[in-house]
Amino acid sequence: MTNRRRFVLPPVAWFLLPWAAVYAAFFVFPFVFSFVLAFLDYNPLNVANTRFVGTANFARLFGDPAFGGALRNTILFVVGTVPVTTALALGVAGLMRGKIPLKGAFKAALFLPSILSVVVIALLFKLFYAPGGALNQALAGFGVAGHGWLTDPRTALPAIMAMDVWAAVGYYAIVLDAARTSIPDSLYEAAELEGAGAWATFRHVTFPLLKPAIAFVLVINTIRSFQVFVEVLVMTQGGPLGSTNTLVMYLYDTAFRRLDYGYASVVAYAVFLLSGVFSIIAMRRLRPETAEGRPI
Amino acid sequence: MMRGVRFVVLAAVLVAMAYPLAWMIAISLKTADGVSLRYYGEVWQSGPFDRYFVNSFVVAAIVLAGNLLFCTMAGYAFARYRIRGGKLVFLLVLSTIMLPKQVILVPLYILMQRMGLIDTYWALTLPFLVDPFNIFLIRQYVSTIPTDCEEAARMDGAGEFTILFRVVFPMLKPVLAVVAIHTCLTNWNSFLFPFILTHSASMRTLPVGLAMLSQGAHSIDWGHLMAGAVVSALPVVAAFLVFQRRIIGGLTAGMSK
Repeated sequence: MTNRRRFVLPPVAWFLLPWAAVYAAFFVFPFVFSFVLAFLDYNPLNVANTRFVGTANFARLFGDPAFGGALRNTILFVVGTVPVTTALALGVAGLMRGKIPLKGAFKAALFLPSILSVVVIALLFKLFYAPGGALNQALAGFGVAGHGWLTDPRTALPAIMAMDVWAAVGYYAIVLDAARTSIPDSLYEAAELEGAGAWATFRHVTFPLLKPAIAFVLVINTIRSFQVFVEVLVMTQGGPLGSTNTLVMYLYDTAFRRLDYGYASVVAYAVFLLSGVFSIIAMRRLRPETAEGRPI
Repeated sequence: MMRGVRFVVLAAVLVAMAYPLAWMIAISLKTADGVSLRYYGEVWQSGPFDRYFVNSFVVAAIVLAGNLLFCTMAGYAFARYRIRGGKLVFLLVLSTIMLPKQVILVPLYILMQRMGLIDTYWALTLPFLVDPFNIFLIRQYVSTIPTDCEEAARMDGAGEFTILFRVVFPMLKPVLAVVAIHTCLTNWNSFLFPFILTHSASMRTLPVGLAMLSQGAHSIDWGHLMAGAVVSALPVVAAFLVFQRRIIGGLTAGMSK
């Protein structure tokens, strides 16, 4: 069998060719090129003057307060959203346990934001947070004075973070709910017989058995959150006073507004490095599970 | 927790999820002279919005076709053939799935510019024709199918292409549905790359056009903007309401595993 398969190598080559061509041209080549770019002073309007600058672009990173701010904001964003989203998603998944009327409608509503374009959601919330928007109108109902949520440097980033939690929580709740269905009902019945309350049941049944799924959700959401960009571009453009400037926003600014391609590549590698670390952790977490051979 | 309490809390969550969306629709319908579809008509005719729609459709269709065809070929090859170093290559490809694509943003832009492809469907489709995640899904699925049918076809003298497209392809329907859902949604909502790879209004896709509409020099009012947002989300929401179970299953399949 092995021999014959060796003989039919040409068809395999044909099977792999379209993928290999696209992957080589539009992923591997740009990837290698980005590494080279990081060592160049490359301005697209003056390509003839491209120079090799060694590690100067990397050195610049450490003395660049705008980069420091973007890094700080991005970390704040990740640290402030990911645990909250995960905790809420866990709670919602717990609520969906067993037979609940209208479960289909709940699932649909929870899932809806994750099929919408981030642009749509960002526009919606830009209006929601606007001076005359729904949030301020609701607050006025309670006699609370309105606030320029996206124009105050203190509240702009938290406002975007709150939106992200709203948009992401349903998706992760559904993922965790799917993982939870693998926990046998008998365990919950046993816990109930033992007189375990909601918290004890969660602490001793749900949580330990969901650990791999929770870890995975944490990692995926972290990687995604390090790349936050569209929300910022649509809602605040990184302002006010750089208070919502994130790494990818800064990357976009550096490359396409200031046309500093070399330095932009270094900023890209910072994002790459941060989420690369988490990718490795994700892969580690994934491996024992795929080894169990559960098909898709 | 008692079921009644859980239901009430879930209902509150439902309202929290649905309220902003309902509010978006309300704003798009509330015109100076009462509830009407006026904003929808105006936004559709406001220059290139219909064009954004066509662009989004064309790009999604091409990218979908490419993924269904090429990812099946590659996924099948990785699952069934012994290729020297194949496993290593597959693992390497797999590890790039989760890496942030921003790293290739600038070089890809330079590449497209040098090839003169900025502002063309080529730039919007070529780099996205083969998503490694889809290859992964298909490879995993093919590995779970017994080889009997393929062996029988081979005995009958069928060539490898015939075996893949006549024998294996029809058996892949469930995974191809997942691939289709994943590809269409990702592409329809994709922003960053189409944003960078197009300059002119006539080549923008819906999300990019919508974002531009909101920051143009003569920025338009919220009623029109929300109408545009609803229009751009409509095909996806319609598909979601029809294929809800499939879509939820498909988008969480690769995740919860």
